[in-house]
Amino acid sequence: MILVGERINGMFRDIRRAIRDKDPGPVQHWAKRQEEAGADYLDVNVGPAAEDPVEAMKWLVQVVQEVTEVPLCLDSTNYDAIEAGLRLCKKAAIINSVPADRPKIERVFPMAKEYGAKVIGLTMDRKGIPKDAEARTALAMEIVAAADEFGFPIEDLFIDPLVLPVNVAQDHGPEVLETIRQVKNLASPPPKTIIGLSNVSQKAVHRSLVDRTFVAMAMAAGLDAAILNLDDDALLDTIATARILLNQDVYADSYLKVFRSRRR
Amino acid sequence: MGLTGLEIYKQLPKKNCGECGPPTCLAFAMQLASGKATLDACPYISQEAREALQSAAAPPIRLVTLGAGDHVLEIGDETVLFRHDKTFYHPAGIFIEVGDDLDEAAMDERLRAIGELEFERVGQQYRVDGVALRATSGDADRFLRLAQKAAAAVPWNFVIVCQDPALAEPVVRLLASRRPLLYAATDDNWEKMVQLAEEHQIPLGVCGRDLDHLAELVTKITQRGYRELVIDPGSRETSQVLADLTQIRRLAIKKKFRPFGYPTIAFTSEPDATTEIIQAQVYVGKYASLVVLRQAWRRSEILPLLTWRTNVFTDPQKPIQVEPRVYEVGDVRDDSPVYVTTNFSLTYFSVEAEVEASKIPGYIVVVNTEGTSVLTAYAAGKFTPEAVAEALQRSGIADRVKHREVIIPGHVAVMSGKLQELSGWKVIVGPREAAGIPAFVRSRYAA
Amino acid sequence: MAVERIMERYTSRVREVTLGATAEQGGTRSHTITVGGDSTLPFLHFEGEVPHRPVLALEVNDVPPAWHQLLLEHYRDVLDDPGAWAAKAVRQFGADLVCLRLVGADPDGENRSPEECAQVVRRVLEAVKVPLIVIGCGDADKDNEVMPAVAEAGAGENLLLGIATQENYKTLTAACMVHKHNIIAQSPIDINICKQLNILISEMNMPLDRIVIDPTLGALGYGIEYTYSIMERIRLGALGGDSMLAMPVIVNVGYEAWRAKEANVPESEFPRWGDQPTRAVLWEAMTGAHGLQAGAHIVILRNPDALRLLRRHIEQLMVPNRA
Ligand code: SF4
Repeated sequence: MILVGERINGMFRDIRRAIRDKDPGPVQHWAKRQEEAGADYLDVNVGPAAEDPVEAMKWLVQVVQEVTEVPLCLDSTNYDAIEAGLRLCKKAAIINSVPADRPKIERVFPMAKEYGAKVIGLTMDRKGIPKDAEARTALAMEIVAAADEFGFPIEDLFIDPLVLPVNVAQDHGPEVLETIRQVKNLASPPPKTIIGLSNVSQKAVHRSLVDRTFVAMAMAAGLDAAILNLDDDALLDTIATARILLNQDVYADSYLKVFRSRRR
Repeated sequence: MGLTGLEIYKQLPKKNCGECGPPTCLAFAMQLASGKATLDACPYISQEAREALQSAAAPPIRLVTLGAGDHVLEIGDETVLFRHDKTFYHPAGIFIEVGDDLDEAAMDERLRAIGELEFERVGQQYRVDGVALRATSGDADRFLRLAQKAAAAVPWNFVIVCQDPALAEPVVRLLASRRPLLYAATDDNWEKMVQLAEEHQIPLGVCGRDLDHLAELVTKITQRGYRELVIDPGSRETSQVLADLTQIRRLAIKKKFRPFGYPTIAFTSEPDATTEIIQAQVYVGKYASLVVLRQAWRRSEILPLLTWRTNVFTDPQKPIQVEPRVYEVGDVRDDSPVYVTTNFSLTYFSVEAEVEASKIPGYIVVVNTEGTSVLTAYAAGKFTPEAVAEALQRSGIADRVKHREVIIPGHVAVMSGKLQELSGWKVIVGPREAAGIPAFVRSRYAA
Repeated sequence: MAVERIMERYTSRVREVTLGATAEQGGTRSHTITVGGDSTLPFLHFEGEVPHRPVLALEVNDVPPAWHQLLLEHYRDVLDDPGAWAAKAVRQFGADLVCLRLVGADPDGENRSPEECAQVVRRVLEAVKVPLIVIGCGDADKDNEVMPAVAEAGAGENLLLGIATQENYKTLTAACMVHKHNIIAQSPIDINICKQLNILISEMNMPLDRIVIDPTLGALGYGIEYTYSIMERIRLGALGGDSMLAMPVIVNVGYEAWRAKEANVPESEFPRWGDQPTRAVLWEAMTGAHGLQAGAHIVILRNPDALRLLRRHIEQLMVPNRA
């Protein structure tokens, strides 16, 4: 399971302020902390309030890379900001994200190839996010076919079936899980799947419980990666256990300890 | 094997006319992938695309057969790189090469020896798969003479190693009914070789200079329509053969790369028999479908290789079992000791080997524990006093010995009392490990 | 036609373990031996590094063993002297290192004292300059008395000591830590116990680069395929980043192969199995060769002829290959 740390995001007040004041402190704190918690990638998002997203992205990428070598997941709807970030990345990054929308596809895949980046494709188009799994999968298929058309390796494509908050869109849950399953039949080798996990528990009580229950279910459906809260130990223990139950790691009585200390 | 949406979509006309039902080719491809539509619904699909889709749906490695009648050898059709991922299905065929430059007596002697390379060990039958006839002398009569002798002496299968179609032709004709492998098509001869193989409907070896060249040659041959192929990357050094066979297997299985979707053949290169056997074991495990030996042919050399083949092609999911009954080891008498053990074959055969090593003949009563070892079976309630008592009763061992003493594995000493009560036999606790049997039984029974 | 090769991208590698210590390092060995470090599957040089060739050890016993004649004939002149035996194994037969087995400590046998055993270790260390493996008699309680004495006697020599099991690892681990030796962690054909034992040993603060896995490789024909698959999974685990499986692997081939009937019965009894000397040497060498294919780094042998065959085989496997 590929773990992407969600915390460096302008939606969080401390990061928003740090960007505004050019104060590397909070950004570097979360970079280190998520690395220690076992992040394989760090999501980097300037947030909706950034005045100059391109400059903000460049600054974030630089200050994060000063303290860690963990590769980055550049999260923006502004592709100029992403490109500016890619130019600075020392390791192959992930572009987060592209919907099933032709002009955006045509912008993202050539850029991804140029910088050797991976790509997250969203199962949505201009009309928005469809509800049922078939329609989500059909949008995923459009992105897969487009990736193939651009000669982009399908293994480097992550499909995000778009998790919605359970308190307002309860009926989407099973559709997301089914989409994760179906995406595996789109190509061989199949694209990977990723979710923004914390979305599922937005404004819910028992956030951690909702997150970890859903991640276990999604992993059973074949999930490969998640953007998540690495500060949640119970969540990480659940992922470690799900990996064991799915025969992805070799069981040992002390498996939890090993998983927790894997970055030692 | 189902095709993915992308594989199908690539073959569709991309007109997006919607005549098939769904609005776009992409949507139609997904319906096909999930089995909700058939290809016929699209009126514009080309014959070529149809064929491409059919071949894409074929298994990643083609199943090819040599031989006929009772001696059919199936090779290929593997689906994994590691046996623990599922299993290896078709044991590598092992052939021993004989050249036509041997003198008559040596030829007869060698062929006779090969024709007898059958073994029995641990209750299983092993044998080599046949002989590879090599045209070494360049003399057509000699080669045919070798083939005639081989046909008479060896009841199994044949590989015809000869790259000259004219020289090979009479031998192919002679052996055609036994479906030999004709080895090999190369750059220079492939058209004639394909013709010869096709005419006699026999499998054809294809030998490249390297992987790239092999892919090219195979593509030319399959475009001609012939697919009964066995492929050889042409390398002969252990390390490179391992690399090439690994790439062939990976590309066939992980990428479904069609030119490598065939069984493989490997030739050894070591100059003496013992090092050759060790070289060959690499290929048997990774990933040759046929292995041709050129030095080894003696029984003591061949047995270890055949044993390895049996081991590595054993299905890891399936416990191997022996039949639950009484077994006699050595010249038993009515006062010989009686052992009980489980029907897991490894357990049984280690007990058998040690009883034999003790030089004191004995009976072994095997309890059906569904192929589990003593401790596992005990823990799972399959090796209980009740089960042992019943096995003793059913086996009829009471009619074969005059005493009533039974030796149980030391690990299950706790069942002694209950077993004694249920069976009426005096229970003797033996050693925990089979290796302790000779010392144990000698101290107890040696007169 | 340029065929695009499949190169696996592994995230990790097998850890390196170094055995022996030279004078500068506080020991008396003429050289050290490093094993492990592989970043791919066995001998796939085309996609990763195999920085060290697998090494071959010959077994030496402290008391004359009840081995088969075919083995004893190689050692007849040195059976009473483990030092001379070790020297012969290295100088005449070309062993990379010596595996001294302290059978004499067995309470059911000669029941030698820890000090006597330590003396034997000193004797062997004087007789040869290669790194040394020392294995106890197999009786857990007795080994817990003997091995600390051995560890002390070999202090500074960076020995490889065995055998730790899930039931009995603490004393040996402690002894290895105090005197800075390496440890053999043995699991009974069980990858879960293999991993757990490595964790348990590392929890005593033993550095991970001083642990060697013994997965209990059975002999050819006697369940070798079980351990073969476990070893393949261990290697894949190591390459996939499981640090508790990323240790080099040792296989005790001589001992196992000579338990097989095929090594022991003469042709007169089993005429259809062919001549015994060839059969026996191949049984041992083949068992070792399968171990190498599954990822073994250290192979312990008994028959010098088997060693000779494997030596040549390893040379050939270490030839670089291209994809
Ligand atoms: S009928 Fe054929 S060409 Fe037309 S949309 Fe369907 S698949 Fe495409």
